[in-house]
Amino acid sequence: MESDEEDMVFFGTPITREEDITTTRKKKSVAEASGQLRTLPPWKQEVRDEEGRRRFHGAFSGGYSAGYYNTVGSKEGWAPQTFTSSRKNRAEIIQQSIFNFLDDDERSELEADSLGTSMQFDTFGFTAAEIARKQAENEQQQRPSAIPGPIPDEVVLPATDSIGVKLLLKMGWRHGHSIKDSRTDSLYGDSSNLGCGPDSQLVPRAYARREARKAFLALSSKDASTQLAAPEQVEGDLEDVKELPSDINQYSESTPVYVLNPKQDLHGLGFDPFRNAPEFREKKSSRLSETKELGLRKPLGMRESLFGFNSNTSAGRTAPGFGIGALEELDAEDEDVYASGYAFEENYVQEIEEPSRLAIEHKKKSGEKGDGALPGFKVASNSDYQLERFSPPVIPKDFVPRHKFPAPLEVNYKLADVPPVEVPPPEDNNLKVLVEGVATLVARCGKLFEDLSREKNQSNPLFSFLYGGNGHDYYSRKLWEERQKRNDQTKQQSNGNMFPSAKKMTAESRGEILGEKPLERSTRDLSSSASSADTISLQFNLSDTFTNPASFTEPQEIAKPFRDDPAKQERFERYLKDKYRGGLRSKDSGGASNMSEAARARERLEFETAADAIQKGKWGSESWPANQQLLDLSTATGLQFTSAGVEQAGVGQAQEMMMKEMYPKREEFQWRPSPVLCKRFDLLDPYMGKPPPPPRMRSKMDALIFMPDSVKDAKVEETAALRKDLFSESKEVTDIEAEVEVEAENVERPVDLYKAIFSDDSDEEEENSYLNQVEDPQKKVEVVNTTLSRLIAGDFLESLGKELGLEVPPDVSGLENKAGISSIYKENANANKGDSSSLSAVSGSYADQGVPQGKTYNREASQVIVSDKHEGLDVNTYRSGNKTADPDSSLEKSGKVKLEKVVQEDKNAKTPMGKRGWSSGSSDDDRSRRKSSSRHRRRSSNSDGERTDSSDDYRDRYHSRSKGTKKLSSRDHSSSRKHSKHRKHRSGDTSSRSSRHGSEKDHREAKRDKRKWKD
Amino acid sequence: MSAGNLPTKEANVLKGHEGAVLAARFNADGNYCLSCGKDRTIRLWNPHRGIHIKTYKSHGREVRDVHVTSDNSKLCSCGGDRQVFYWDVASGRVIRKFRGHDSEVNAVKFNEYASVVVSAGYDRSLRAWDCRSHSTEPIQIIDTFLDSVMSIGLTKSEIIAGSVDGTVRTFDMRIGREISDDLGQPVNCISLSNDGNCILASCLDSTLRLLDRSSGELLQEYKGHTCKSFKMDCCLTNTDAHVTGGSEDGSVFFWDLVDASVVSNFRAHASVCVPVAKREAMEGHSS
Repeated sequence: MESDEEDMVFFGTPITREEDITTTRKKKSVAEASGQLRTLPPWKQEVRDEEGRRRFHGAFSGGYSAGYYNTVGSKEGWAPQTFTSSRKNRAEIIQQSIFNFLDDDERSELEADSLGTSMQFDTFGFTAAEIARKQAENEQQQRPSAIPGPIPDEVVLPATDSIGVKLLLKMGWRHGHSIKDSRTDSLYGDSSNLGCGPDSQLVPRAYARREARKAFLALSSKDASTQLAAPEQVEGDLEDVKELPSDINQYSESTPVYVLNPKQDLHGLGFDPFRNAPEFREKKSSRLSETKELGLRKPLGMRESLFGFNSNTSAGRTAPGFGIGALEELDAEDEDVYASGYAFEENYVQEIEEPSRLAIEHKKKSGEKGDGALPGFKVASNSDYQLERFSPPVIPKDFVPRHKFPAPLEVNYKLADVPPVEVPPPEDNNLKVLVEGVATLVARCGKLFEDLSREKNQSNPLFSFLYGGNGHDYYSRKLWEERQKRNDQTKQQSNGNMFPSAKKMTAESRGEILGEKPLERSTRDLSSSASSADTISLQFNLSDTFTNPASFTEPQEIAKPFRDDPAKQERFERYLKDKYRGGLRSKDSGGASNMSEAARARERLEFETAADAIQKGKWGSESWPANQQLLDLSTATGLQFTSAGVEQAGVGQAQEMMMKEMYPKREEFQWRPSPVLCKRFDLLDPYMGKPPPPPRMRSKMDALIFMPDSVKDAKVEETAALRKDLFSESKEVTDIEAEVEVEAENVERPVDLYKAIFSDDSDEEEENSYLNQVEDPQKKVEVVNTTLSRLIAGDFLESLGKELGLEVPPDVSGLENKAGISSIYKENANANKGDSSSLSAVSGSYADQGVPQGKTYNREASQVIVSDKHEGLDVNTYRSGNKTADPDSSLEKSGKVKLEKVVQEDKNAKTPMGKRGWSSGSSDDDRSRRKSSSRHRRRSSNSDGERTDSSDDYRDRYHSRSKGTKKLSSRDHSSSRKHSKHRKHRSGDTSSRSSRHGSEKDHREAKRDKRKWKD
Repeated sequence: MSAGNLPTKEANVLKGHEGAVLAARFNADGNYCLSCGKDRTIRLWNPHRGIHIKTYKSHGREVRDVHVTSDNSKLCSCGGDRQVFYWDVASGRVIRKFRGHDSEVNAVKFNEYASVVVSAGYDRSLRAWDCRSHSTEPIQIIDTFLDSVMSIGLTKSEIIAGSVDGTVRTFDMRIGREISDDLGQPVNCISLSNDGNCILASCLDSTLRLLDRSSGELLQEYKGHTCKSFKMDCCLTNTDAHVTGGSEDGSVFFWDLVDASVVSNFRAHASVCVPVAKREAMEGHSS
């Protein structure tokens, strides 16, 4: 084995065992560390690892002595400086700045360069705010206020931060800190090279670096010298006004604000006129600022600026560090101009001692004293420059400070002037002509012309008459004559419009001129015996409510187209009068209350055409002399003015008389308070347990459509009183009848509506006729009678039922309802049959009363017939029905008609002022009809043999009429649609109103008829 | 109360409104006073000391009437914005707004229990609003009037309202009846006598009319003032011995209740010490 070992050939050097080396090195290192290494200076020490090795990392990475034990880490390990564990605290972005990378010496240099303002440069008013706060604190200490603790800042100080400041605050900036890096906490460096100009002395070794840093800090060295002057100027003022806080360090960090001085002079760029005469610069700047700051600024005494700025004391006193330019010039580098620590204490005390205002004044005075003269100069005692003053122009004595307008045309030349004596014209014909001409001209153009011509022809002997020379008398006489003539003319012209202005214009007269008819008072005059024909006249009233006032000339002699009929002629004249007066047409145009509506309408048309014809000049004398017309005009207007007043007075008196008689009057209606209301008022509901009223069907369309009918609402009210009497007379009204009607109405309404919308009228008529044909021809007449009476009764019932809709429970189930209705219908039919069969008996029993009533209703019935004619229905049956009808049926019919009217009237009560505007007194006729109709109802109830003395119910029924209007309106609406259809067929139907009633009725009758027959 | 006891001069002038004052109302015990006006505010005053206590602003248009509950906790007001506001007095906040009138609302009143507000509007209707529930729908609409309803009076069981249609209508909830007294002249303002038996109605023909409520008779007419176009308030004094009413010329009239003679009248724009609502001359009191 040994030989084997020897045979082995070894290449290279054997690796020495590491251990040996390390141990030796270790020993060495330990020895070094313990011995010499510690004593060695740092630059001789070597970095070695724990093994004592030195590692060479490369020439560019630090050589032997790089890093922390040859690592890039630190003792704590390797971690980037910016890294923070997000576990405990959020990563903060650490702003690196140049200061992080600077050495100490570099840093100190840099900080010496960076500029900060003293607290005297109060850009944002913080200093002032601070002062105010401190003052407030002081005050508060002196007298304890109600609020304990320090007064909150916002109470004392106005919070007026500019947006820039707010932004800065958001970014973490605090008041009193400079915007430069927060880590630079040192004050201005104490190095003296603050002059900053390139020409200033700089430490040569740091020059290049400093320049770079200056650029970095955006400190243009060029600007610095000029800009510095601006804050300095303000400094002086502030010093005077404000206190100075004790700790200066707080404020001294404030960032300077660089105000760029605008170039205001006319020198070339870089040219400094004061280069060699700095005192003049001071002078100028002081003057400038003086003018700018309105004397607030204390101008710096020239002497001080010239000689005083070298001494610290004087500069600190007046304006510390003032005049840096001068400083530069003098290379006074050792001056610590910007140090904030100059003698404030002294000033502070001083300011306390004397009020600041006084101080300012004092300083101003002293400034003024020294002002205007440089040291070494004297102010000239008399200056070359003098303001030249001129005395105001002399005002002539006869000057009147008012502008005289040229004399007006002497329209109002006083006629009372004594006319000059008549003088024969001068012999000289020329002169005479001249005089006359001038006189005419003067009269026409006014006195001005006379003056003018007098002035012009001063030298002209021909015009001597103007001054009183030859022919002056004649001239004056002529002038007077001319004026007289002109006056007459103008008076004639202006007569027309002079007249109204002479009278005081009242609203009435104005209205009269404008052609309005004064609105009648809202009170309803019962006295006016207007006919019931308003239904017709209404439409006309509306269609031509405002007639144009044709002219004021009321024809005195109206042509008489209706000579043969004096009454008619009279009506025509009244109509014409109305027409020419214009305005609202009176409701009762003819006093023809005894005429039917249709006749009246026709007559109206007739009058209209006649009037047109007259206007066109077919009748009557059209050629009136013009002057007569003028005369007429004046007289007419005069008459109108006076007569209107008289009339009104009379009317007012009459009204008052009437008012006293009839007002107040009391009516009573049913009214249903809502259960909740009763509950809230802590009352028992009087209608508890009774079925609630059916829901209202109200649409705005109805109100719109039936607006024009609003005239009639008044009648209800008026007749109500009469009715009340009637009610008290008769206290029996059928209950059952009412209920029956109600229920019937309730069911049929939807059908009605449906029909109104979707079904054609013709098929109804067909059905009607068909039904009629089905009957035995022998019984035809009788059947017709019964049908008719039933129709009428049914319609009546229907209308009544509508009014009483309040009583009907809407939530009754269909079955119940139907059953009830069928029974009711039967009952109804039976009653009707009974009526018709025992027709003679009934008529006999009521013969004494029925006959006169029948008379009164004849007209009503005939109207219905007239309208029926338009419908194309079987007129004969109606006629016969009417003729043979017992008073009962006819009465009912009339009653129904009346009721419908009433319903419409109520409906129209919706327009607020309708009642007032259209005082349509209801006629006696109307009332009597109503009375009798109600009487009739009573009677029929008697015949039924059911007496109930519930007058309340009757009243309720009346009242519910007004309630039910809304429901009704929908029905009426539908019916009106039908009518419109009908109107298409009928052309030129003037009596639309009556026909409307008729048609409406007819349709209802037809429907009713059908239903009944089905039953 | 003799004529000498009647107020003859203004006790205090309450200044603060920036426009015409349309209504001034005392509270139930007469210690406070509410006024409302064209400046869209309601103001609460202590009239005896002349102190302005609070201003209630929320109305969009002029405030025409205001009323306070008897416990002084709630207000209701109405005006040109067609709404009735229900206020909390202390906080000055609107608790509820009742909408529904089709046009301006002329008058409001609480009922005795402050559970219902009744309002009268130019839309010819009276509406009763529920303060207890949260609904803003009227619990009752009375629209039998033919013209604008101007004034309301409430008793324990009746709603009384005067309208321009010339009627004073009494709605009796106990018997479910409406009684209409037609005066023939537009009624401006109504006021109940303290015993509740009479209604004083101010008509636009410059006449105050005293009606017997039970029979509807005209008991007396009081004339001498002018009231032709504005809404002027009227009322009876506490003892029912005198009738007082405003005049359009800015004076306040006092009549003897029985013989209708003018006892005193004085020129005033300021509040008078009648612990009832009292209205001043509308055009004058724009302090």
